[in-house]
Amino acid sequence: MDATTVLAEINGNIATVGYGLAAIGPAIGVGIVVGKTIEGVARQPELAGRLQVLMWIGIAFTEALAFIGIATYFIFV
Amino acid sequence: MTDPRPEPADRTPTSNPVLRKALTWGGVLAGVIAIVSASLGFVFDGTSGLVSGLIGTLMAVVFMGITAASILVANRFAGSDVFVGAFFGIVLGGWLLKFIAFIVLVVLLRDAAWLNPTVLFLSLVAGVIASLVVDVLVVAKSRIPYVSDVQLPKPPVDD
Repeated sequence: MDATTVLAEINGNIATVGYGLAAIGPAIGVGIVVGKTIEGVARQPELAGRLQVLMWIGIAFTEALAFIGIATYFIFV
Repeated sequence: MTDPRPEPADRTPTSNPVLRKALTWGGVLAGVIAIVSASLGFVFDGTSGLVSGLIGTLMAVVFMGITAASILVANRFAGSDVFVGAFFGIVLGGWLLKFIAFIVLVVLLRDAAWLNPTVLFLSLVAGVIASLVVDVLVVAKSRIPYVSDVQLPKPPVDD
């Protein structure tokens, strides 16, 4: 066995790595959405209702990516 | 003698009707998608396809709906001193629990012999996309007052 094979050997299901990749984007996305909503409500508390709706639609789109990413576990072997 | 001062303003955020409407219409559309995906699943893979279509749609709708539901629950704390902390605690805590539950469910269902993974995946994706479409339509058609949730100063009372 040569050195490259030994160093680059990976065991287990590569789909696990896929979940890790699928988690990065939504985590950053939801962090930005919620952080900016907190910022907006702190500046103008009377806009809380409008900002909540915008935050919710932002979270919905971001988490949809995560759901589809995790659910690929069903089809990728 | 009645108190001439007006009642304190309702501090409930104005987002509540929008979120309720989105949940209702999301539920209706989910019913339609469940019927379609279960029928297609039954055609392609018999009973296991039917069950997979139903479970996939149910998972998509429940997990996408939890965000709106958690905001509605958190808005019950509106007006209290801990509102901001409680709001983000409930919404983001619910989000985290939802994903843990989703991953556990995926691991449990993965090896179930009575399920067709492809039908489950496709119906889940269809449910997620339909839920997004409903959310966008409801928000686009919603009319939220620009300035809301605000308590105006009370008018002076002449004695």
